[in-house]
Amino acid sequence: MASVTLEHIKKVYDNNVTAVHDFNLEIKDKEFVVFVGPSGCGKSTTLRMIAGLEDISGGTLKIGDRIVNDVEPKDRDIAMVFQNYALYPHITVYENMAFSLRLRKMSNEEIYKRVTQAAEILGITEYLGRKPKQLSGGQRQRVAIGRAIVRDPAVFLMDEPLSNLDAKLRNQMRAEIILLRKRVDTTFVYVTHDQTEAMTLGDRIVVMKDGFIQQVGTPQEVFDTPINLFVAGFIGSPQMNFLKARLNKEAKGYTVELLGVKIPLNQDQNAALSQKGIGTQEITLGVRPEHTSVLFEKTEHAIECTIQVNEMMGSELHLHLSSLNKDSIIVRLPTIDLTQDQRSQLAYGNKMFITFPAKVMHLFDPKTEKNLIYS
Amino acid sequence: MSKKHEVPEVDIVIDEEAGVIREVKPEKTRSKKGHERRVNTSIYVILILMSIIWLAPFFFLVFQSFRSYATESGGMVDYLLPKQWSLDNYKWLLESQESNFLRWYGNTLIIAIFSAAIQTIMVLSVSYALSRLRFRGRKLIMNVVLVLGMFPGFLTMITLYFLLKQLGLTQTGAIPGLILIYVASSGMGYYISKGFFDTIPKSLDESARIDGATRFQVFKKIIMPLAKPIVIYTILMAFMAPWGDYVFASYVAFGSEPNYNVAVGLYRWVNVADYQGYFTRFCAGGVLVAVPITALFLALQKYYVEGVTGGAVKG
Repeated sequence: MASVTLEHIKKVYDNNVTAVHDFNLEIKDKEFVVFVGPSGCGKSTTLRMIAGLEDISGGTLKIGDRIVNDVEPKDRDIAMVFQNYALYPHITVYENMAFSLRLRKMSNEEIYKRVTQAAEILGITEYLGRKPKQLSGGQRQRVAIGRAIVRDPAVFLMDEPLSNLDAKLRNQMRAEIILLRKRVDTTFVYVTHDQTEAMTLGDRIVVMKDGFIQQVGTPQEVFDTPINLFVAGFIGSPQMNFLKARLNKEAKGYTVELLGVKIPLNQDQNAALSQKGIGTQEITLGVRPEHTSVLFEKTEHAIECTIQVNEMMGSELHLHLSSLNKDSIIVRLPTIDLTQDQRSQLAYGNKMFITFPAKVMHLFDPKTEKNLIYS
Repeated sequence: MSKKHEVPEVDIVIDEEAGVIREVKPEKTRSKKGHERRVNTSIYVILILMSIIWLAPFFFLVFQSFRSYATESGGMVDYLLPKQWSLDNYKWLLESQESNFLRWYGNTLIIAIFSAAIQTIMVLSVSYALSRLRFRGRKLIMNVVLVLGMFPGFLTMITLYFLLKQLGLTQTGAIPGLILIYVASSGMGYYISKGFFDTIPKSLDESARIDGATRFQVFKKIIMPLAKPIVIYTILMAFMAPWGDYVFASYVAFGSEPNYNVAVGLYRWVNVADYQGYFTRFCAGGVLVAVPITALFLALQKYYVEGVTGGAVKG
């Protein structure tokens, strides 16, 4: 158990490509932190620097109070689970899990105790005598996790551990990782490109792009108050809708004007904007699909759209709409309250109206891509 | 290229008793069968001819070696099968005071075993380092070595001879001298085993290093067991080259008969010594030379086939 502190961590490869720029983060003891971002954003590189598999080009890395920049991986007291499992194919599951303990010259009884205990937690006791190739993908990933937990490491690193599994198994293993985390209760650093995993697993999420940290926060913070367009678009599924709009500063307060419809902002938003001295300007308006209501009749603040695609997801419909100025909008519509008549209206080319309250609107500067209120 | 989807020809038969419709594939037409047979026959004929060509010298050698030295000629004759089978030649090789055969055989064995052991360690270490470590000049080293390797080894013969002579490693010192020659540039033969190591996922190394292994422990405990086929291959190659070498052995040991290796010794019999008197003995020596190599191959070949990396990573 230990904290992990990254101060101005930087990674520059030999060919002068900078993979990670000035990464600052303090991971608290027993915290579960998820690095999330598209591929090539530097999240795996950062994790591998914590593991000691990549040299650190600049900055200070501390595990606990110890600076470990130049400490060998084996002396960092970390365990890591790899995307491709990386099990040793020539030895049994038992020996795979015992490998690190044998290197530490632990007694056979202690090894037996730890391995069987870990195997029980993960439900792989019956496979202990098998070789990795006789196991399925999910079982192999359990062995890989087991190999890490027998060590009782100070920090537990996971590099996209679920990416090689199929969707169903992935959901199941995700739940198991949440349970596991409760049981082993240590510091976790988890890398993924899947925002669902990030949201469900992390105490805090670190959203990364092009080697820069975009935002650090709890899943709720990142979801509710994304600080820029990238975070807003990356977190949440289906992704946030972005519409061209205009912010007007008027005597009574700010309004957002969108296709001739003026929506007044609420008190908090007004206060934040006027405090920052923001005037009338073009904006990118962000609204999440789940915050958008669909109407069949026009009302005061409703925006007219045309239906493009209607995706049936079972419990809900995903409607792909096109606004009058060709912005595409996705909305989620629960199917349970729809009448037969309403369903028949949801066909290609038909007109619909959407509306959303002021409090769910995210206002971004189209040039800097920053959130006008939260950053 | 898309393959045209073949619709199997079927006859439909209604099985009234069982109340089902069955599909029955028609028998292959006779002409198709005949064609297959003709193709197969010609393939076998070619294979048989090739194996005769390959095996003929071997049988020739074996038959000659069993020809009686006492009652028939010890030289070349115009018939293949011995008139009288005997072990005369073998007995002479192994027992006669005049024969240095056992001495040569021993020399060769010592040279081959030492070279194989040292060379295997060198080749595997170099290839592993080139496969796994990233250091300045790595590409350059690999390319330079590749180009150097294109020059045949005996180009350096004269230089090497003088060097060895300075060190006192010619003639009576021929055995350590030859081991030195065979081993010296062995790291240059890294290519095949590096290719093999490259196929072992790097994440296994990384995982082991995080598990607490040093680089050497990773090599010993993880990579070596997985690389068994290539280790075996390297040992075989490293053993066979000095075992059958003539070029270097002939000049390094030149003038010191007890320090010949077996290839040089046998060759001297039929070339320099009494050709007609030594031919069948030469053949018997040849058969004995083949024994350890054959045994080694038989003992180790099964490791070639074993697939070993299955289940390491996703698959």
